[in-house]
Amino acid sequence: MLRIEHYSKTYPGGKKAVDDLTLHVRPGEIYGFIGHNGAGKTTTLRACAGVMDFTEGTITIDGHDVKKDPVGAKRVTAFLPDNPDLYEFMKGIDYLNFIADLYDIPADQRTKDIGRFGDAFELTGSLGSPIGSYSHGMRQKLALISAFIRHPRLLILDEPFVGLDPSASHIMKGYLAELCRGGSAVFFSTHVLEVAEKLCHQIAIIKDGRLVKCGPTEALVGDSSLEDVFLELEGEK
Amino acid sequence: MKKFLALMKVSVKSMLLSSTNSRGRSKKKAASGAGVILLIAFLGLYMSGMYSSMLMSVLAPAHMEVLVFIFMGMGALAGGLLFTTFAVKGVVFGGKDNNLLLSMPVSSTALMTSRVSAIYLENLLVSLFVLGPAGVVCAFMTQSGVGRDPLFWVRLLIAVLALPLLDTALSVLFGALVAFLSAKVSKGALGQNIIMGVYLAAVFYFSFNLNGMIEGLAANAAGVKESLSWAAPMLWMADGIMGNWGLLLAFAACCIVPFALVVFGLGRVYRKAVTAFAARSARNDYRLSAQSASGQKKALLCMEARRFFGIPMYFWNSGLGLIMLVAMGVAALVMREELRMYLGLLEGLPAMPLAALVMGFCLSMTVIAAPSISLEGKYLWILREAPVGEGTLLGLKTGFELLFSIPCTVIAGACIAIALGLPLWQGAALVAVTLLFAAGHAAFGTLIGLAFPKLDAVNETVVVKQSMAVMLGTFVPMAALGLCALLYWLGGMVNGALALALPAVLLAALTAVCAAILAKRGPAMLKAL
Repeated sequence: MLRIEHYSKTYPGGKKAVDDLTLHVRPGEIYGFIGHNGAGKTTTLRACAGVMDFTEGTITIDGHDVKKDPVGAKRVTAFLPDNPDLYEFMKGIDYLNFIADLYDIPADQRTKDIGRFGDAFELTGSLGSPIGSYSHGMRQKLALISAFIRHPRLLILDEPFVGLDPSASHIMKGYLAELCRGGSAVFFSTHVLEVAEKLCHQIAIIKDGRLVKCGPTEALVGDSSLEDVFLELEGEK
Repeated sequence: MKKFLALMKVSVKSMLLSSTNSRGRSKKKAASGAGVILLIAFLGLYMSGMYSSMLMSVLAPAHMEVLVFIFMGMGALAGGLLFTTFAVKGVVFGGKDNNLLLSMPVSSTALMTSRVSAIYLENLLVSLFVLGPAGVVCAFMTQSGVGRDPLFWVRLLIAVLALPLLDTALSVLFGALVAFLSAKVSKGALGQNIIMGVYLAAVFYFSFNLNGMIEGLAANAAGVKESLSWAAPMLWMADGIMGNWGLLLAFAACCIVPFALVVFGLGRVYRKAVTAFAARSARNDYRLSAQSASGQKKALLCMEARRFFGIPMYFWNSGLGLIMLVAMGVAALVMREELRMYLGLLEGLPAMPLAALVMGFCLSMTVIAAPSISLEGKYLWILREAPVGEGTLLGLKTGFELLFSIPCTVIAGACIAIALGLPLWQGAALVAVTLLFAAGHAAFGTLIGLAFPKLDAVNETVVVKQSMAVMLGTFVPMAALGLCALLYWLGGMVNGALALALPAVLLAALTAVCAAILAKRGPAMLKAL
């Protein structure tokens, strides 16, 4: 579903944020991407989502090259940044319709999905209010709903658990699993290692822009815990 | 005091950087920013000088120079209020760094005062640009010689420094009211738009009747001064500038006391006010019904429209030129007899090119596309993530300005052509050439928005009022109009047809160049942001 081949990103000034990263996410997989602050996680996720330009390597999503066919790649992808800023001058329902229009979602399907995900995240009653009046958690939920109604082939999430209450986190995990059962894939970064260990089929650990370890969660963790593996790789244990 | 100075430095630096857009990185951009500020200063001084000399030429013979300072003082007060009242909502009460600064060990009064100091500086510039030229005009045109006394300049300086204190106090009070209404009233933007509409209607009324008022002034200057007793502080200021130190001190006190009361009064409740103005709780009574679908382009245009009409600062600052354009067209039609009589007095004046120039001036002030990229700011990820090509996005942003400027130009052009009694071909040429200018202006606006993005602005006010893209998007097209006028004059030396053709060819070339650069380089520029 997602193929990252020899991807590198160098910022102006010469600092290499990511160096020769190769990583594959297969359909039906939840892929965790972990690393310390500044390791290059967000840079990689933003490049995959087509939000950030890059010079070296190739990234393809469901057969669409992010560079050569960006619109095709974006059409099958949903991306949520770590702090999703949404148009404050819009009402929640207007934002969802705006996104649905951009992705050509038919009227009856969007009505059904907005109702379903809105009720699940307990946000339907607030959809008539301006986003400017939403709390951080409500914005996060709205951004998640806007991602789920697209039924993306690949869902890219940057720190999705930040700001969500335990109940919303639980609901989100359920929908991520459901999405993968339907043949889609999820690629997300997190610092919550316990969640990554329980939720992910595959995990990649990145350090200073380089991939230091990746593979199936069971094989990577073994008899230890993900926290132990991570700290060992980081040289902190 | 040290803490206050540090806070004030942050506020003032933020305001200055918002104008230059340099962030201290590019000397070239900083220099061009300073150039734009100088240009605005020049225009402000020129307009103020023109009105001051008009008034002074009528009032000086009657020894009523004092009225010039009363009117210019009122102008400075009204101008300052217009410029800063809506800015107060964003700068004083809605700064994005409020959470950070309020959590620091500084008093809320110090924080409030530092924020207000940025507003004071803006009002000070207005006061300087309006009263300064009046002083210069007084020095040259007054018959009593008061303007040539060094102490006159000291008194004028005191007035220039004191007036913005009163302006700032009023701006902060009205701004607090606007912020309160925005937070508490569901249709806050509509309310603000109505208030601004009424204010502008008054300005238009005053402008259209200015000549009559000045003639009336000459006949009964003393009576007019008497009738202005309701604006006592302005009378004290004017009498003070003209030599009455006692009244000048009374005026200064009249400015300092309200300023201190507002700053210290609101400063004590600043934290409470910021919380109240920000706290808009979401309702929980929405019932989902069947939704309707539309296409990508319509969705993007609707989003632009929601932003344009939903942010009063954006609507009034960027749409003012179009309002003026239509108002001018309608006024020309209504007052066509007077207009034709006036033009008849100025024999040989080329009516059509002059009308095109004035219409172009109004269109130059229609800066809808220029701030559009910067207004995306923190929301830019939404468009970048969307399955829409960069070229389409830029085309829609340019098209959104044209959506308004084309009909307004056609309406105003038709009205003016009828009012002036232009032959059909001249009327058609007037509309065609101004439409060409509108198209070039929109393309240039989007291009300049890409070249000078301000994606990290603390609020929309900074983008719409002070960003480099808006300033260049306004003044560069005005410079192009100046070039057109020059070509018209040069062409006129050969023959009339060439005089009309040269500016039209220049506009067509500039529009084509802007559109070509936007189409070729725009998508890459957007991607690189």
